Amino acid sequence: MNPAPTAAYVSGSGRPRLTFVSGSVLVMLALMLTAWTYIVFGQSWPSHGFFSGETASRAWSFLGDLAGAGREGTPAYLDGAEWAEAGRLALVTLAMSVLAAGIAAMGALLTFMFAARNVMAGELAPYRSPVWTAWFGVVRLGYALSRSVPELIWAMLLVFIFSPGILPGALALAIHNFGILGKLTAEVVEGLDTRPARALRTSGAGWFQVIAYAILPAALPRFITYLFYRWEVIIRTTIVVGLVAAGGLGMEFRISLSHFHYTTVTLLLIWYLLLVLGVDLASAAMRRLAR
Amino acid sequence: MRSEYPISRGRPRAIESRRTITLILLGAFALSLLGIDWSEGVFRPRGVSAIGETLGAFIRPDLSPDLLRTAAAAAWQTAVYAVAGLTVALLIGIPLGVVASGTIARSRLGAVTQIGAARAVLAFFRAIHELVWALLLVAAIGLSPMAAVLALGIPYGGILGRIYSELLQDVPQAPLDALRRSGASEWRVFLFGRLPMALPDMVSYTFYRLECGIRSAAVLGWVGLGGLGFQVQIALEDLAYSRVWTFLWALVVMVVLVDLWSSQVRRRLAP
Repeated sequence: MNPAPTAAYVSGSGRPRLTFVSGSVLVMLALMLTAWTYIVFGQSWPSHGFFSGETASRAWSFLGDLAGAGREGTPAYLDGAEWAEAGRLALVTLAMSVLAAGIAAMGALLTFMFAARNVMAGELAPYRSPVWTAWFGVVRLGYALSRSVPELIWAMLLVFIFSPGILPGALALAIHNFGILGKLTAEVVEGLDTRPARALRTSGAGWFQVIAYAILPAALPRFITYLFYRWEVIIRTTIVVGLVAAGGLGMEFRISLSHFHYTTVTLLLIWYLLLVLGVDLASAAMRRLAR
Repeated sequence: MRSEYPISRGRPRAIESRRTITLILLGAFALSLLGIDWSEGVFRPRGVSAIGETLGAFIRPDLSPDLLRTAAAAAWQTAVYAVAGLTVALLIGIPLGVVASGTIARSRLGAVTQIGAARAVLAFFRAIHELVWALLLVAAIGLSPMAAVLALGIPYGGILGRIYSELLQDVPQAPLDALRRSGASEWRVFLFGRLPMALPDMVSYTFYRLECGIRSAAVLGWVGLGGLGFQVQIALEDLAYSRVWTFLWALVVMVVLVDLWSSQVRRRLAP
């Protein structure tokens, strides 16, 4: 029952041996120390005195603002009309997240087979040709590029192209998640048991038939699971993309914050948390159904 | 020929539920298409030409030495935020994760309370996106690097804590029982049994999070806290796409390098 001991913490000679992993942990610790030294003593920052009573009192009064302390009138989070309006924005945000997940899923479904090494250049490849290997490289590079750039930055670029609304935000989320979903699913294909595929191949099935009857059915359940996990991340990010792409809760959040309508900020945060919770529950239910 | 097992009628359950899922997914997507306002046209008036400019700059970023120096400085600042934020995440995630695993509780009731309370806190931390934390923290404590570090550290702490708690729960039980039978207290069982067994996976996941942290730290620049995201924003305000892509390529290179490092670490830690 014992897991195999890893070199990280078990060494043969009795004293700790420097392996790649323990070296990496040491490098990480050194980086952390450097980063903190830079933050605390760095010349490029103006001096703030973060650890001071002033910071604490400012944070405390901000929390009071969020609760609506010292402000006449009903706070927004107790106002029915404001709730309904924020609820409408929450619905738009939800639509944006579904749109994003859907577009990302379609993109990933169309490409992931070309990003699996075993299908393109390994034992399942019909022809060992440099063209196929190159195509594999291109798709993998596309995935890396699309997921390296964060959603918000894609949104900043896309608002110059598309009319404001939920579409640029949804596309930005979709591009980023396309890369993640595609890579994850391609890795599922690479880890599949290839015996059914080879059995089909030996009984005369062509490349397309092997893909359709041996690989897709085995990879799709995992793909669906990943899709729902990504949806949980996407709903958290829709508000962020909305900050620049003029759609849903994000835009209203930014406006309220810059106009110091702090009780509206609280209301929007409540709706945001409700959305996140709702999507988490829905995703868990769907993942159970998919199993 | 008679079978001992009743023959099931209709389609197998798995196919039924797959059908349901497909219908739900397609329906939800179709409904969400209604949320788009199609009346004003999909593209901005000069949007189509912006596509060309963006793509052109993507191939030919501005590589003048001055700009590269700015990009390097911004990349360094982003890395500093990411690493410092990860430190905060560890400070939050390790203690809360241990409590949320319920493995150091003395009694069953204690375990249930600890798991419930710690999980609720962790869920709240990670429910709010780091950029929203950043906006709130900047509003609360002002434009200080600490706002960026905390904005990254709080939600990442929530994620690390949840994963750590699950890893600590999922270790094999037999070695723990062996320790218990030889008289070890629950604390020692944790320290010498549970922790060493879960540690490789914990380290592995932390390295994976570093890669995500770099991306997140770049985005934090948007609220005015410096780094690559901030530079991208400035360049976009000038509509200087070639400069935008210089910084984006810097980000891509940094993320790919960290990805390579962390995947090497994770490959060696995999069982």
